[in-house]
Amino acid sequence: MLEELLIFTRGGLILWSSCRALGAAALKGSPIDALIRSCLLEERSGDASFSQDNYALKWTFHNDLGLVFVAVYQKILHLLYVDDLLAAVRREFAQIYDPKRTAYDQDFTDIFRQLHLEAEARAEEMKKSKQALSSRPLPPAASHKTDPKARGDSRPNAAKKKKKGKDDSDDGDYTAKEALPNGNGTFKAQDSVLVLPKQGKENGGPNDNGAFDVSKLQRLRKNDRKNNTGAADNGAKKLTTKPDTKKKGKQDRVWDDKPSNKKLDFTDPADERGDEVTDHVAVNQGESMMDKDDNLSSDSEEDEQEVEDGPPKKKGWFSSMFQSIAGNNVLDKSDLQPALKALKDRLMTKNVAEEIAEKLCESVAASLEGKKLGSFTRISSTVQTAMEEALLRILTPRRSIDILRDVNAAKERGRPYVIVFVGVNGVGKSTNLAKVAYWLLQHNLSVTLAACDTFRSGAVEQLRTHARRLQIPIFEKGYEKDPAVVAREAIQEASRNKSDVVLVDTAGRMQMATVELCPNAPSIVSTVETGFHDSSLTILHKLFVEQKLADLSAVPTARLIDGILLTKFDTIDDKVGAALSMVYISGAPVMFVGCGQSYTDLKKLNVKSIVKTLLK
Amino acid sequence: MDEWIRQAEVWVGQAESWIRQQPPEQIYIAAAVIALTILVFIAASCLKSSKSNTIVLSGLSGSGKTTLFHQLRDGSSHQGTVTSMEENNDTFVLNSEKERNGKVRPVHIVDVPGHARLKPKLDEVLPKAAGLVFVVDAQDFLSSMQDAAEYLYDTLTKASVVKKKVPVLIFCNKTDKVTAHSKEFIKKQLEKEINKLRESRNAISSADISDEVKLGVPGEAFKFSQCQNKVTVAEGACLTGNVSAVEKFIREYVKA
Repeated sequence: MLEELLIFTRGGLILWSSCRALGAAALKGSPIDALIRSCLLEERSGDASFSQDNYALKWTFHNDLGLVFVAVYQKILHLLYVDDLLAAVRREFAQIYDPKRTAYDQDFTDIFRQLHLEAEARAEEMKKSKQALSSRPLPPAASHKTDPKARGDSRPNAAKKKKKGKDDSDDGDYTAKEALPNGNGTFKAQDSVLVLPKQGKENGGPNDNGAFDVSKLQRLRKNDRKNNTGAADNGAKKLTTKPDTKKKGKQDRVWDDKPSNKKLDFTDPADERGDEVTDHVAVNQGESMMDKDDNLSSDSEEDEQEVEDGPPKKKGWFSSMFQSIAGNNVLDKSDLQPALKALKDRLMTKNVAEEIAEKLCESVAASLEGKKLGSFTRISSTVQTAMEEALLRILTPRRSIDILRDVNAAKERGRPYVIVFVGVNGVGKSTNLAKVAYWLLQHNLSVTLAACDTFRSGAVEQLRTHARRLQIPIFEKGYEKDPAVVAREAIQEASRNKSDVVLVDTAGRMQMATVELCPNAPSIVSTVETGFHDSSLTILHKLFVEQKLADLSAVPTARLIDGILLTKFDTIDDKVGAALSMVYISGAPVMFVGCGQSYTDLKKLNVKSIVKTLLK
Repeated sequence: MDEWIRQAEVWVGQAESWIRQQPPEQIYIAAAVIALTILVFIAASCLKSSKSNTIVLSGLSGSGKTTLFHQLRDGSSHQGTVTSMEENNDTFVLNSEKERNGKVRPVHIVDVPGHARLKPKLDEVLPKAAGLVFVVDAQDFLSSMQDAAEYLYDTLTKASVVKKKVPVLIFCNKTDKVTAHSKEFIKKQLEKEINKLRESRNAISSADISDEVKLGVPGEAFKFSQCQNKVTVAEGACLTGNVSAVEKFIREYVKA
């Protein structure tokens, strides 16, 4: 059953609510607000649906009048008629809408009831005709049509796909082998008992089976995830133990019967050596670029009002000019396609991942469809403006990233502020960690480094060198120790020494376990190289998707990324798309940008200039 | 190039001789008409820019700005609101003054979304504002105190607000609820939080990054009375229609 259908303006006023009009029970929690905050404002309005708690939500826009139509129903029921109903409601409501009116109860309630019945009837007819046609279940591979990067609503999608492969002789359950959709293939095909999606009107049987189904799916997912992380840990452990045994067993090759007494290992904790070199004062290379104002070019918001000179459309240039002057052009999807495609290609040349560019274009299309063009504006300029606004919205941080204030807040509570740097191998974690330490030192905060990269040889020495140059204490325990334990001890040591900030370096092996065991709710910064390729996108997507699924599991300490550190920014000219991809996937703001190899090369992200560069 | 200059000289000579030929009164009248027109333009533009009638409603998401907007306009909050994705922009006569006879000047009120991602929208409307109402949720205050203080701090340190001495009203909303805090408490807490913000952004950071203006007096705890523009605190409840404080504020700064 449809729980609620809500019609509201983009400015926030509710125009009509089916709950209120039909006297049904109100919704639990506030899924609509959650939808707006986490989906529509995050430029994911091109998604098919959104799920929260037990509810699934679908929506549609009327861009011309600035209205939003949202349908809410129970997640376990898979209603087929929602899209239909939303479109019909949109049509009818647009006819009776008047910007001055705010109460539509009398008029619209009856219309809605009628539309609801019609839609349900239509859906049932369709189902019955499909039943008559299909005689054998389709192979599951064929039904695997969802976008592999479906976010967070894989369950309703999976359930919908099952409709195709069903055998409808019986009224109740059936079994199907199906690979649950997931782009990184961590979920293999499982035996799942899946329910025939029914109309809510029929008996209440499906509800029970549905409930069972959902919990089983959740359990399967949890198990699988546990298995995977277990496998990852085992893998890590295996690799760390291997060099150990190798070292013990291996002996120096002796050639020519000459005993080689040469000492080849210079990595002793070189107290005598190191101290000579850095006897002088701690490195002071001037002001870190974090504190320097970026010189913005003069044009700021005015950019959006300008009419851009995009490339003229190929078809009917004269007619399109005429139409744009007349100003009655209602935007249609086919009109938007060429402009959007051009924008998407432009974004991709700037190294934005293809799926992200696709999703963004869908979201912009969803917000522009049906809108009336003003006079003297071309379609390309409207699309450009909308895209610019969308990019600005994505890159603007959701909450302020004032690290100094958070450090002070932690200081007041008497505990050190912990920042953990995670990321794949070779992106520049240790280097940028040192830069952040330098910046914090410039603000008169006491910093401690924690060398929890116990895997890569030379990592501890690298940090030690940095610590010596910056003259800050470093907590290390050598190699092949459990990084989580090292981290914990480092934090305890830091709080004993009244250190303000602890910077934790991790190995490039996605050691999320370290993070989870760290007390004091650290701030997790993911380090990403700006010039990355699409292949690394899958790795990072795995990281984030797994993290998002961490929400579903019962682990209370599962953490998400708090910030992003973009590295090697000076190497990419203007291919800044990685910033956009990372922010879009993770929803975390960009805290730092590394742009060089010396201590002062750390900047803040300048959102406006990035948007300009992306759309140039 | 030279040819053009010579041509221009010839034309100027011709124009001069033509003017000399006209009777003097006509020239005087023409000049007077032109001067009068220019004067009228200047006067009109001066008058227009001095009295803006825009009031901006801002505050965190969920504090009640859209409800306040509709209360001021229609006298009721209709069926409720959801998180705004766009601003609400309208010029109207305040609902409570609709019954008043005589000429009542309509007010232009802009309700800016409070969601963090839509913050740039506030920067667009601030330059035209004659007054700013900062709406604070008095019931859920403690958990959102830091964010509210930061938003208020950012607004108070904008050059457009300080230079034009835009008056600010901190409106504590939802006081009809039992667990709502009093306006004095909220005022004190906000002052404390802004003080902390001031220190962390000014004293420790050697370079002022985004602050355009320094707030308050260095060395002393921050108080709203130290601001160059007038900051007042009031309370009320939008859902029950208790918005008289806001209306008074609006009438004070947008003369009828």
